[in-house]
Amino acid sequence: MSHVVVLGAGVSGHTAAAFLRKWLGREHTVTVVSPKDTYNWIPSNIWVGVGHMRREQVVFPLRPVYERAGIEFVQGAARAVHPEGDAQDATPFVMVEPSARPGTREKVRYDYLVNATGPQLRFDRTPGLGPHGGHSYSVCTEDHAVEASRALDESVARMQRGERQQFVVGVGHGTCTCEGAAFEYIVNLEFTLRARGVRDKADITWLTNEYELGDFGMGGMHFRTGGYVQPSSAFNASLFAERGIKWVTRAHPREVEPSRVHYETVDGVTDSLPFDFAMLLPPFSGVGLEAFDRDGQDITARLFQPNSFMTVDADYTAKAYDAWSPQDWPRTYQSPAYRNVFAAGIAFAPPHAISKPYTTPSGALVAPAPPRTGMPSAMIGKAVAHSIVDMIRGANGPTHMASMAEMGAACVASAGASVLRGTAASMTVFPIIPDFERYPDYGRDLDRTFGEIGLAGHWIKLILHHLFLYKARLRPGWSLIPE
Amino acid sequence: MPPDVTEHVAKPTPRTVFLRTFIPWQLWRFLLINLRMLGIIRASHK
Repeated sequence: MSHVVVLGAGVSGHTAAAFLRKWLGREHTVTVVSPKDTYNWIPSNIWVGVGHMRREQVVFPLRPVYERAGIEFVQGAARAVHPEGDAQDATPFVMVEPSARPGTREKVRYDYLVNATGPQLRFDRTPGLGPHGGHSYSVCTEDHAVEASRALDESVARMQRGERQQFVVGVGHGTCTCEGAAFEYIVNLEFTLRARGVRDKADITWLTNEYELGDFGMGGMHFRTGGYVQPSSAFNASLFAERGIKWVTRAHPREVEPSRVHYETVDGVTDSLPFDFAMLLPPFSGVGLEAFDRDGQDITARLFQPNSFMTVDADYTAKAYDAWSPQDWPRTYQSPAYRNVFAAGIAFAPPHAISKPYTTPSGALVAPAPPRTGMPSAMIGKAVAHSIVDMIRGANGPTHMASMAEMGAACVASAGASVLRGTAASMTVFPIIPDFERYPDYGRDLDRTFGEIGLAGHWIKLILHHLFLYKARLRPGWSLIPE
Repeated sequence: MPPDVTEHVAKPTPRTVFLRTFIPWQLWRFLLINLRMLGIIRASHK
């Protein structure tokens, strides 16, 4: 009998737990540890943030789902990993702070551990950033999105009274990731203002750490269109120009004041943007898990990188940007320190940036971090679950791979939510990590990398919203729905 | 404020904008986009 513990109930952790439960016999236990007892389909937070959906439409309680599936649930935040157990018992365990008893600790023992804790939202990295005592909004959580929606309503009311409003949307730090989510928010915001008849009263600006528009932390991409191979920068610039959205690229936001965001750029520009409403995403780090050996010695550095993301089977050797290769990216997500420990989704440490990092003249890093959400996150969770099941059944090591250098991603970025008038940018990219050895011109397979905008994309986005929530609720046939 | 660079980029023609929400055309695109995405999913699960 084996105990498998999954830390985190986001896309990756929930997927891993569901497949572990499906594939393992009932003599084994699967336990999920998560600070919240709800599941949030994060991609649809964008629609909550513009008032198109209610919070309840993107969130559901996890306990009934796990009870039905036979998955044990511990509501609490993992604080430390003890991969060698302690002096009394060599069985590994995770020290958890139960949500019901803050300040206390509880041991959750495991034979296999999946760290899918996701990111810590580092609003603290930029003074004045974020909804917790700062001056900007976020859509990273369902509650943040609700707050953003309320503030947007207030701005719309002011515009309806004839006032002009300034909107700034994008990133709140030079090292942010998830530019795609902010992109979805800004075009949905613009669509919403048009739908509510106040677009003429709004100035909307995109503030990004991307070197060029459409980088998305993936070094951009290229599409075949109209007899040309077009970079995603042209695709995004056209989309913004059509909607009257201005942009600032290559930026590191330094401070957010009550109605002004200060930034500097790689090109040496130091400036600021006034705003009445700002939605700026925070940079991410790992959640700050610590690790201790059997004697209680701190071994955090053996399990985690300095940014607190977990070290896995990647090549983390420091090299120049041009010297990195797709083979550096992890395949099995197994910790090199402990064979029964894995990381999945955002929790694993990427070996390097995909987008070229830059610094501003003052030395601030402007480096969009690699995205590892959505489809890759779920695929990694599933591959890790498969490997653990095989190892429990006697395999010597991980049996399933999910390298982002060998997988593609399909992404549908909403650009306006309406069944008849909405649009979305449908994009596929293959592989996620550019491979200039296999695809010397553009790093990706142009037969499998494309993008187009239209109503069909919105229909797909809407179907995916319902389909993935159905899957996450583990309804009959859930495992037939691909990640 | 950032300079207005929007006049220097490609913008869609009225026909392109019309086709983006023209339902018969979008039903066709819906089919094709889904097929492309299924291809990506199949390639990624190998």
